[in-house]
Amino acid sequence: MNTYETLSEDIIELIIELLEDKSLEVSLETQLIGDEGILDSMMLVELCLALEDKALEMGFEFDWTSEATLSRSRSMFRTLGSLTNEFIAQFSSSE
Amino acid sequence: MIIVTGASRGLGRALSERLTAKGFEVLGLARNASETPFECLSCDVSSYESVKDVVKQVKARRVEVTGLVNAAGIAQMNLVIAMTSESVRRIIETNLLGTINCCQLVAPLMLRQKSGCIINFSTIAVPLSLKGESVYIASKAGVEGFTRSFAREMSDFGIRVNCLAPGPIDTDLIRGVTAKQIKEIVSRQVIQKQFGADSVSDLTELLFDPRSYSISGQVLHVGGI
Repeated sequence: MNTYETLSEDIIELIIELLEDKSLEVSLETQLIGDEGILDSMMLVELCLALEDKALEMGFEFDWTSEATLSRSRSMFRTLGSLTNEFIAQFSSSE
Repeated sequence: MIIVTGASRGLGRALSERLTAKGFEVLGLARNASETPFECLSCDVSSYESVKDVVKQVKARRVEVTGLVNAAGIAQMNLVIAMTSESVRRIIETNLLGTINCCQLVAPLMLRQKSGCIINFSTIAVPLSLKGESVYIASKAGVEGFTRSFAREMSDFGIRVNCLAPGPIDTDLIRGVTAKQIKEIVSRQVIQKQFGADSVSDLTELLFDPRSYSISGQVLHVGGI
């Protein structure tokens, strides 16, 4: 598995831990926030803290307090795929 | 660590000095960080980026942030029709947006420990609807509404958010208020006495006391209204 696949798997695990319904299928296209999003705002904050921890393990700081965090059109939390992309981008720019 | 905005002078300075004297580690923020008995960093609270920059520095220190006091504020006693649009914008941006910026960016530092205390500042001028303070009152009424709602949002994370609303305190902020006006305002308080920065510091200490665990989402009027 490449970095993208490994990280998206890790993030899926973090998300499933937060969900009440553990049987929910989560893919790269799954919407995390918005009308069809699977996370409420409380879960979103918990996910951010978990991602901060994950980033620290990897030796960088994950910044989720950006202007666009909760924007439906631009947010990194639109889908699992966009979140994984942003996480990798922040990791790469820290190297 | 407790972060206090508007810490270089006035009420923010007095609160920072009191908290420092009581053994709290205080990080003051001010547009013009001056010499203070506590650490003070330069920060313009009306700028999201400026606050974000300070928060980044605090995060890098890996210290536990237990409190935030949003004491930065400006006022201009004038009829709104006699004010420049620039003055209106500055008052709203410093008082309301500044409070929101700091809450939005500092509260995440408290989420992990699931505890924290945030104190915002309003004024007794809000319930009294004082003439010549409409823009200032609009900004502070916004702070009160924000405080009540934000307190509910933060409640699940063990963070308490309250608002102190003093009457006329002897600082630069009320430079344009006459002695007669102050007397009139004080006469409308429940306790008809002009309170000083010490009384506000007492209430701030009280809210930081762990025994205040059940107080959140409240606007406390100094002297009562």
